Amino acid sequence: MGAEMSDIALSSAEKRPFRLTEDGSSVVVGLLFFALALAGVVGLDLLGWAATTAVWVDPAKALSAVSKSYAELNGALALGATFLALLATLSAAVWATGGDVKRFALAFVIVFAIAYASWFIGSYAHLAAVTPADYAKFGIDWSLKLTNEGGFVVALVAGLVIANLFPKFAEWLKEAIRPELYIKIAIVILGGFVAATAASKLTLASSLLLRGVAAIIEAYLIYWAVVYFVARKYFGFSREWAAPLASGISICGVSAAIATGGAIRARPQIPVIVSSLVVIFAVVEVLVLPFFAQTFLSHEPLVAAAWLGLAVKTDGAAIAAGGIAEGLLLSQAAAEGVKYEAGWILSTTTTVKVFIDVFIGIWAFVLAYIWTNHIDREKGEKAKLSEIWERFPKFILGFIVTFAIVLALALGGGLTQRLTPALAEANTFRVIFFILTFFSIGVLSNFRKLWDDGVARLAAVYLVSLFGFVIWVGLLISWIFFAGVKPPLAG
Amino acid sequence: MTEPTIKDEAAQRFSEPLLPIEKKLIGWSLGIGVVALVALAALNHFVPL
Repeated sequence: MGAEMSDIALSSAEKRPFRLTEDGSSVVVGLLFFALALAGVVGLDLLGWAATTAVWVDPAKALSAVSKSYAELNGALALGATFLALLATLSAAVWATGGDVKRFALAFVIVFAIAYASWFIGSYAHLAAVTPADYAKFGIDWSLKLTNEGGFVVALVAGLVIANLFPKFAEWLKEAIRPELYIKIAIVILGGFVAATAASKLTLASSLLLRGVAAIIEAYLIYWAVVYFVARKYFGFSREWAAPLASGISICGVSAAIATGGAIRARPQIPVIVSSLVVIFAVVEVLVLPFFAQTFLSHEPLVAAAWLGLAVKTDGAAIAAGGIAEGLLLSQAAAEGVKYEAGWILSTTTTVKVFIDVFIGIWAFVLAYIWTNHIDREKGEKAKLSEIWERFPKFILGFIVTFAIVLALALGGGLTQRLTPALAEANTFRVIFFILTFFSIGVLSNFRKLWDDGVARLAAVYLVSLFGFVIWVGLLISWIFFAGVKPPLAG
Repeated sequence: MTEPTIKDEAAQRFSEPLLPIEKKLIGWSLGIGVVALVALAALNHFVPL
């Protein structure tokens, strides 16, 4: 896994002349799907053929086109069209970043098939149905009540099985295993969804911004300092190891570890190994924390949402955990007679995580300044302000653009009636990119290989920091800022 | 592929004491972080949105 992560991580870190970076291509693809979906606002239904999967007992009735305009389209054809659209756009993205397009295309056929099959399985009524009304509708008397977002967990588990039991197959798939690309595209598309949610309740959304600032302070100033101190003082790691490790554990696993490694001029393998470790722990967190939130935080859903954004340390896993938690918490509340409006829990987790991501570039500059001007002074380099831009995760700009456009349309144009179905089409692709992310994260999580890479002590730092500090302080901070703040009621 | 030296380093304890600048980074980060959080918590409590 170290080599695979190295290939993917370094390819996203390098700047290829006349080529896009992974960040840049994720912005282009995300904005493309967003723009095509948004054409619905002016009456052009360009993505209505995209496949969506309903909760099912009869598999023949599960798949359909997302738009009523394409109601006559056979579900299997809709899925085929969706696959071809993704294959074309992602192959172009891979080409633009200098990847092997042929290998990608071949592997993507299998990746899409397994990932979407996982989503399909996760939508089976005995896994996904939640309310008594659902039970009656499907003629069932039991269900695991995971909501169809349990499909994310199925995709993750499918990836884990492949990584740990069929490592050669995982190796063959690797060109299409790009969790960072998929989640960045999803986040760009998600910006519009978050804006629509925010526009519907602007005061609540404004208060979430204040709380987002608290999340940044906690992640960078408190978490980072404690983890760095623990790694250096008690585990005896060198500065070169401790800084990327602190960033990976406290800020945002992969991006922050790599940005930090670059800022302090660490050897590239170090942040890559740290990133692999972060992914493993994020996988465990996604499998555990949403259910913990459902059990203990069902009456404080936004506390749960913010907590997941603070505690889960990769974008994909954090936002996905938010999505799973939303399904679980909304269903729990509905069973108790409280119907919250959908989207607020996911939006809160996303906002917290995006806020943390925004400052990666600034923190990397701070560390670059300290390392070049105080620790590695003799090398004669000075940290440059341009490093902030270089380290800034560009996909966040895509999120901001889609957020701003939808917010402007929702607040200024009075186009809510047309915006809703348009965003639903964009959301269909957002969900698919989430599924691909989950599956990819699973495929990258080869536990035995990671152990062979000698990460036992790194894992010990992670365990001590995460379970000794990060999770509990994150919960405390989330409670202080979000307790009593509830999502608006539906309708 | 992981180099043997990286694997050995990950398992190794380094004799690299904390420099004054590292102690400052840790101290100032924690200090500013705690003060800023307390201020935000107070703002959240007394001027709720």
